[in-house]
Amino acid sequence: MRALRVFSFLALVPFCTAAGEKPPPSQGGYVGSAACRACHPDVWLNFYKNPHFRSLALGTEPADKTGCEGCHGPGKAHVEARGGKATIVAFSALQAKEILNRCLECHSRDLGRAQIRRSSHSLADVACTSCHSIHKPATPQHLLARKQADLCYSCHPQIKAQFSMPFKHRVNEGFMRCADCHNPHGAPAAAWRMSQRPRMVETAPQGEQPCLKCHADKRGPFVFEHPAVRVDGCETCHQPHGSANARLLRRPAAFTLCLECHNGAGGFGRRGEGIPALSPVHNLADARYRNCTSCHVRLHGSNADPLFLR
Amino acid sequence: MLALLAGAVSGQVPVAPTSETVGRTRGEDVKGYNVVHSFELGYRFRSTGGNLGKYRSDVNYGNGIRLLASHLTVHSKDGHGRWFDELTLSTMGLGNDPYQSAALRLGRNRLFRYDLLWRLNAYYNPALPVSLGQHAMDTRRRLQDHDLTLLPQSKLRFLFGYSRNSQDGPALSTVQQFGAHQDEFPVFAALRRLRNEYRVGGELSLRRMKITLLRGWENFREDSRQTLAAPSPGNNPADRLALRSFRREEPYHGTTPFSRGVLVSEPAPWLTLNLRGSYAITRRDFVLDEFATGVDRFGADRARQIVVFGSGRRPVATANLTLNLLPAESVTIANHTAFHHSRMEGDHVYNETVNNAPVFTSLPFEYLGIRTLANSTDLNYRWTPRTTFFAGYHFSQRRVRSRRQAERTPSPDDVYGEQENTLHSGLAGIRVRPAKPLSIHLDGEIGRASRPFYPVSEKNYHAMSGRLAYRARAFQFTAFSKVNYNTNSSRITAYSSRGRTYAAAGSWTGVSWLSVDAGYTKLHLDTVSGLAYFLGGTAQSGRSLYLSSLHAGNAAARVNFRQRVDLIAGYQLVKDVGDGRSTMGANAFAAAQVFPLSYQSPSARLSVRLRSKLRWNAGYQYYGYGERFSTAQGYRAHTGFSSLLWSF
Repeated sequence: MRALRVFSFLALVPFCTAAGEKPPPSQGGYVGSAACRACHPDVWLNFYKNPHFRSLALGTEPADKTGCEGCHGPGKAHVEARGGKATIVAFSALQAKEILNRCLECHSRDLGRAQIRRSSHSLADVACTSCHSIHKPATPQHLLARKQADLCYSCHPQIKAQFSMPFKHRVNEGFMRCADCHNPHGAPAAAWRMSQRPRMVETAPQGEQPCLKCHADKRGPFVFEHPAVRVDGCETCHQPHGSANARLLRRPAAFTLCLECHNGAGGFGRRGEGIPALSPVHNLADARYRNCTSCHVRLHGSNADPLFLR
Repeated sequence: MLALLAGAVSGQVPVAPTSETVGRTRGEDVKGYNVVHSFELGYRFRSTGGNLGKYRSDVNYGNGIRLLASHLTVHSKDGHGRWFDELTLSTMGLGNDPYQSAALRLGRNRLFRYDLLWRLNAYYNPALPVSLGQHAMDTRRRLQDHDLTLLPQSKLRFLFGYSRNSQDGPALSTVQQFGAHQDEFPVFAALRRLRNEYRVGGELSLRRMKITLLRGWENFREDSRQTLAAPSPGNNPADRLALRSFRREEPYHGTTPFSRGVLVSEPAPWLTLNLRGSYAITRRDFVLDEFATGVDRFGADRARQIVVFGSGRRPVATANLTLNLLPAESVTIANHTAFHHSRMEGDHVYNETVNNAPVFTSLPFEYLGIRTLANSTDLNYRWTPRTTFFAGYHFSQRRVRSRRQAERTPSPDDVYGEQENTLHSGLAGIRVRPAKPLSIHLDGEIGRASRPFYPVSEKNYHAMSGRLAYRARAFQFTAFSKVNYNTNSSRITAYSSRGRTYAAAGSWTGVSWLSVDAGYTKLHLDTVSGLAYFLGGTAQSGRSLYLSSLHAGNAAARVNFRQRVDLIAGYQLVKDVGDGRSTMGANAFAAAQVFPLSYQSPSARLSVRLRSKLRWNAGYQYYGYGERFSTAQGYRAHTGFSSLLWSF
């Protein structure tokens, strides 16, 4: 056992110390970050608070992977020309895809960004710098240009309206963040519905809908599952951002929501025989029968009753 | 500065905490560290009229002293701090706000990085008119996420994580007793749910590759119980059913071990691939023990006990492969293949005893399996630096299998079903940037599904959207429009939905002392669905018409007087105008067609810099909610706060 531990330690050492190797000698027009300091003191003064400073503090990274030149390219020509956007990589002059390529030189292999090239943001030419402000971030974490919700609202005003509804998830109040459910860098295909949409919603580690991360009691498994939850997902009945209807439902009255599927129309459901319609004893003239969940209390799934009565 | 101002305006709902800052932006230097900090301590108040429960459901701010917000950042100046190099702590609403959070990051370069996010939500559900207003909750949900990364800048990193999610508090629910379709009784419920998740993993970076492995365990336990507070005649006054006593305990415990592996590789400059797979298997065991005494519909005494026990199991497997091809600087092709399979299977033993005599025992078994295979390809072609075309094609096939039987061995009760749906959809669009700050995006999508699972699922649909964005330093404007039409009609019923969204928002920060922000959104949805139901035992068929015409607007302005006083005023309005009718409608179905309402919230905040490290803030926010057809849920709430924002 001890030999195994020693072997494991020795096996890990090369990986742990690989980052500590001496960098190759500076070449290719790299002048080092100290040269930038003279003309850009405002940027340099607070740069030690920036996550990108870590590689500089390490002191072992090659010149093209660290400091100002890690992102902006070799600065020799820029210094000699005493400035100018044409002599250095200026992100304000780059196309969205060029910015993406530049950032992905270091960040491409991070878990959260692995789907970035197929994300809706990349397809819409939303560059990294549209959301991230490297030198003047509003939030210390993730270097966001503005508070997360404000940032998302600036391009998605219709979502801001949804979060202003009487019933909503508490994003404006600061309890939740957009990134609790969404991955702005792109997510793999959804594991629910027809896997086509939504494209930017990150699955839970268990490979299921992110709603279940918080609403764990709805997750199951149940002996009697309500297929609406599993097959087409929570959005079959709920509007996740916000709704004018109680419990974020898609309809103000629950019975119409239920009846729109439970109408017995052929072709649908498990056997193509339709989603079961109500039995005659459900007299909808009586208000009690228009409150489906008064009796069918376990709508998300039940272990005791196939009709979700307990 | 201008960007921060704009953010401050658009983020002014709710009115507290404030967004102003005190002290030196650059902070203070202390022994090789730089420290920036601020604390906002204040008093919130509220005064409500009308439906307090609905106010608590929508807003829920109360009275009392709060640490409205605090921020602390400590950074080592050379990146070689003795104990740490970065410490960031932010809190919000501590003290008793319904929404509280604390975020901590602690890190030392090369050695470790630790993130903590703690959140609390006081959730209040006031028995709204769903389930006859008899389902209510007053719970607290607490969320914790801890993530520790060891050797964060090494090629081999170790990941550890822990998440905790608890929900507890009183609730009201309903039970049905002594015969189906006879009566239901409101009962008291004590909710107690707890989810713990443990994660351990590692990341290995090789030359052109990164491998991530994660292993986790999720434990869930629910120990809620339900009791009857007092004998109840039930909701149906026309029958003789009554409940004298009731208790139900239903412990529900289980574990989900899960694994996830990710391989990201860039074998060539023109090719990147991402392979990801996950597998989880959940097993949860349960017992339901229910005992009720009362009177049945014939007036006879009943003592009924139901005991159910068993377990459910759900393995879930997912796999994704993404290939990104970059054959030229102007072309990106992304192909994504996804496989997802989950199956749910479980059984239970159901025992029912009435007046000490066994009446019913069964051993049902149910299976539901869902397998989805999907592939999508997206092509992005930059024709000129200002014009880009993009197109995509998506194919997916989903098979749903189910089986239900009364016993484990095959029997005549065995019911088997299989349904397969295939979806083809295409997407095309163009992006134009006529000038640097202006971009225009137009796209359209069309899809055809062969056999959707539900009458309301997407079948024959098309969507078109457009977006215009103008982003200059002082003026930003976004306009968005989307229409989404879907029809899903079968032989005997029809379903169609039409959704239209129009939105526009803009902000102006032209001068340092003034910024304004405004937005308007219209969300329109109308659906027609075929219905089948019974009225007094007679079968009916008809259509469900639903129309939602929501208008949402917001406006805010911020004025700064001589770098000393900040005044923010804002207004927010949500209004559903329905279809213009002034009365609810002749019957329940007509009443459910529209839900006109109005929800508005004007607010104002004053922030005065008393000294360089001290500000005084005061704010007021009004919330008004009203429905056109009923006054039962309307409320008016005057809320506000006064606080001191300081640093030392």
